[in-house]
Parts: sequence; C-alpha cells; structure tokens
Amino acid sequence: MTRTITIDPVTRLEGHAKITLRMNGHGEVEDAQFHVTQLRGFEKFCEGRPYYEMPNLMSRICGICPVSHLLASAKACDAILAVRIPPAAGRLRRMLNLAQIIQSHALSFFYLSAPDLLLGMDAPPAERNLFGLMQQDPELARGGVRLRKFGQQIIEMLCGKRIHPGWVVPGGVNEPLSLQKRHDILAMIPDALATAQKTLLWFKMRVESYREEIRTFANFPSLFMGLVTPDDRPAYYEGKLRFTDAAGNIVADKLDPALYAEYIGETAEPFTYMKFPYYKPLGYPDGMYRVGPLARMNIVDRAGTPLADQEWIEFRSLQRGAVLSSFHYHYARLIEILHCIEHIHHYLEDPRIISPHVRASASLNNSEGVGVCEAPRGTLIHHYRVDDNGLITWANLIIATGHNNLAMNRGVLQAARHFVHGEKLAEGALNRVEAVVRAFDPCLSCSTHAVGHMPLIIRLEAADGALFDEARRDG
Amino acid sequence: MKPILVLACGNPLRSDDGAGWRVAEALRDGAVDSAVSVHAVQQFTPELAEEISQAEMVIFVDSAADEDAGAVAVSTVAEAPASTARFTHSLTPATLLSLARRLFGAAPEKALLVTVGASRFELSEKLSEPVARAIPEAVAAIRSLALTL
Repeated sequence: MTRTITIDPVTRLEGHAKITLRMNGHGEVEDAQFHVTQLRGFEKFCEGRPYYEMPNLMSRICGICPVSHLLASAKACDAILAVRIPPAAGRLRRMLNLAQIIQSHALSFFYLSAPDLLLGMDAPPAERNLFGLMQQDPELARGGVRLRKFGQQIIEMLCGKRIHPGWVVPGGVNEPLSLQKRHDILAMIPDALATAQKTLLWFKMRVESYREEIRTFANFPSLFMGLVTPDDRPAYYEGKLRFTDAAGNIVADKLDPALYAEYIGETAEPFTYMKFPYYKPLGYPDGMYRVGPLARMNIVDRAGTPLADQEWIEFRSLQRGAVLSSFHYHYARLIEILHCIEHIHHYLEDPRIISPHVRASASLNNSEGVGVCEAPRGTLIHHYRVDDNGLITWANLIIATGHNNLAMNRGVLQAARHFVHGEKLAEGALNRVEAVVRAFDPCLSCSTHAVGHMPLIIRLEAADGALFDEARRDG
Repeated sequence: MKPILVLACGNPLRSDDGAGWRVAEALRDGAVDSAVSVHAVQQFTPELAEEISQAEMVIFVDSAADEDAGAVAVSTVAEAPASTARFTHSLTPATLLSLARRLFGAAPEKALLVTVGASRFELSEKLSEPVARAIPEAVAAIRSLALTL
C-alpha cells in the first residue's frame, strides 16, 4: 500500500512551507514535493504606483534581505531614468550589499543551521536552536551574534535603520558617507575578520562528521548561475551572468542580466506558490540550476580577496569540477562572509568612498527597467514597465530562492529516499529532510511574496493520496 | 557605554503596536538626558544582548494587547531560565536578559518593562486616542525610572 508523509511546517526557514513525501507499497519514498504555501502578490499590487516608490515598496517584501530588494529595485529605476549613478554611490551601494550578505549569512549559519552542526541532526528539537548552541559553545554563539550585528550596524550607519531602509534611491543614494562613520566601520573590521576565520576553522573540523549528509543533501549534477566580474570573480552588485555545469565548464557567459527572459524561463506547478525558473536552452525541468553561495563559489576562478581566496582554493579542492553537495552551501556561506568583510575593508580604504557626489538626477527616459544584483541567497531580478506618467504597468520579480526551487525539490527527494523508511517519521529523518531545505537558506517570504511565521508540515501519503502520517511544527 | 538603555519594540505601521516607537521618539527628542541610550526596534533580537550586558539599567517598552487601552504599567523583568528560551526570530525581554548574561557575562541589575495598553492593530500609522494620550505618561514613567539610578 502506498502512503504519504507530511512535514508541516518546515522549521528554521524564512517563510512558510510544507513537504509531502509519497511512499510506495514497500515503504520507500517514491516522490517528494516542497510546497510554499502563502502568496503575497507584490508584483500585482505595485501596479499603478509611481516607479520612484518602488525601492521602498519592494524592500517591504522581506525583513531579512530588504537591502537586496532595495538595490535591485533602485537599479531597475536607474534604468528607467537611463541614469548613470555617481561612482561613490556605486561603491556605497556595493558596500551596503556586502553588509546585507554578512548579516543574512550569519543568521542562516549561526541561528538556523549551526545548532544542527554542533548538537547533531538527532538532538532533541527543543535544543537545536541558538540557546542550545549557546550552552554547548558560547564562543561560537557569541561570534554569530556579533557577526550579524556587524552587518546590521553597517546597514544602520549607512541607511539610518537596519530594516526597510530608504537610503538607496533611484539615481544613487541620498547621503554621502561621513568620515566618522567610515572610521567607525573600519574599527569593527578586525574583530569581524577574526570571528569569520575562527568559524571557518570550526566548520572545517566538524564537517567530516557529516559525510552521510554531504553525500545525500541535494548532491547531484546541475547548472550553477550567478553574476561575475570581467576578471572571473563573484560580482555581487553588477556584472554579467554566467552558467556553468557540474564539471565546472562554462555553459553560457557574459549574458546581459537585463535580457534574462531570453535564457531564463519560468513555469508554475499546482502544488506550490513558488515559481520554477529554468535555463531555457535545456527546457523544463532539465534546465535546473542553482544560485547563491554554492553557485557563486562554483562559477568563478577565485573569490577575489586574499583570505577568501585561500579558503576558496581549499573549498574547490573538495571535488573535481563543481562542488555539488548542497550541504556545502554552509561552507560557501562562511567563505562569503569572510570575503564580504575583506571587500568592505577594501572599499573603506579608498578615499573616494566619502565623496559628496552620490546622486544623479534625471526624469523618466525609458518605459522599462531591469535591476539585477546578488542577494544573500542568489541572483535577484526586478523588472518593471511604466507608462508615460511613470506609473508601474507590469512587474516581474525572480527571487533567489525561486531559482533554487527545482533543486530544492529534487534535494528533498534525494534526502527523503535515503533517510525515510517505513510508515513513521523518525525525528532525525524529519530533521534531515528539513535540513536539506535549510542548507539552501530559502527565503520563502521573498520568493512568493508571502508573509508568515515559518512553520512546516511533512506529509506521508499513499500513491492514491491517502494520508499515512503527518508531522507538524509551529514556527 | 551609557548606563541606561531603553529598548522600545513595536511596528509603527500597525496602529497601537507603534506605541513603543512613539515613546522612543519622545525620549530622543529630549525627554531624557544623554546618559540614556534609546533604540526603537521591531523585534527583540539576539544582537541586542551585548549592549544590554553593558548597561546598568534596561527599560523595555512595548504595547500590551491584554491591558486596557492607554493603561501604562511598569513591571520588573527577571531573567528566563535557559531551558525555557527558544529562539525563533524574536525574543522576550526575559530571554534577552538571559542571553546577555550567558553570552556576554552580565545582565543589568535593574530590568523593567513599561507597557502601554493597546486595542487597535490594523494597518495605520495613527495611534488610537487612549494610546496617544498615554504616551506622555509612559515617557514620564521612564524618566522617573531613569532618575532612580
């Protein structure tokens, strides 16, 4: 007899989701689906709003990565204005994006995933949280809190507030960086660098204990996509898109992000509100690709800063070609934290960062604009069309988490086939199925534009849809 | 580090839930002296723990849905036992105190919670009349508490 297991809600994610596992008559997982269960509809309700409201409106999509939406939206508006923003504004926007990546990665790694890594996938769920981490390794927990604070403080210093800041505007930013703030941020760098390095060392010592998870957590060939600089480093704010394959070969390169619709298709499935983007030349679903930290480390020839470059070399030696296990999103995330801190330092050492010229003004010059940047979870695309009065007539957003949708679904299936057997869900198996999703650090509020508390359901179903078992957790 | 820390929590886009922010704005506008550090936040998050650990007194400010609209109340906050502390995205004042002590080695001797009873939480930047009237009272209560240190 076939049956279905439901995990609802999936915990320690950004958003609401559930997982359904369909079992065959031999107690084996036959199919798995990752459902995102809320819809917010930002693309629709921004219609009719003036373009210049979009950065602030779009930053409301998410409380974790508002800066990413702010930047992608402002870049789309720059394109509508046909304006080239002043160099200092570009540097400040870049620095802001790096701070955003640091604080988001710190949240993902230390608050959401490190409890699994330190306490074990089979530890009681009540202990697998920041407080459990604090009991076992206060230094690691302290480092996590401080790293997140470091990113947030930079955002607050630049923008005036940590969440939903309005400092980035079409044409640039609305205030230059003061000497005092530059000094204050520089003073925080050494501690942040030391914490990032210590955490990387800690992770590399522990990772050997997770061979089974590395082997089974969304570990399969796929394409990888992200922005790159002309000299093959990861580009977080501006660059061309590159696709590589599992062997590390470049499949497509120097793609204009504004023309994303020529090579990225989007489709929908009835079981989830999250869209399924795919690489058009390979079709759906063969055009599955991954974005985010793992992809960014896989598509480049180096990280681009001295300490991160050393880590990158070690990381890429894990496997010939691309590093395929999504468990290593964690590893890549830590390298990116280190890289972003180094890069912020680099920007601050350049005296041009305090230039007072930070905003260009223009009026409406284009009826369409695309803004693309790398958000913490991957490539973020905002695309708007406006009428002659500058009112939005159409908007399309492709969110980082959405790009990973196909891979997350396949990853859940792979892990469930390995860890789930029989008619009941063991806690450790349940947590591992969730942890696959957690490795991607999906932001479901972003990807569906849905608000939520982050709960998860896993359902165990018969092939005919009959419910066998269901695990449910509140967020 | 300033000896007195005021942490006001709420969502100013949700009517009376913004009471804490209004109190923080009034305090920043000069209702307290420069020895008081004032932050308005949307949630109590772990990143606040280090600053709390360095303060001599912390005053949490929040709206309270279970109190009469406009009622101002002051209560002491005790550290939560670690076993009851479960992190999601936000913490209670009690768990924040516990986090401050466990991670950063200290928690303020005096920890207080000032609440303003609230009744309306719909999308709006306006406070209900009773809550708007209560803001000066809450500010005065915090000023008095600050003077006790």
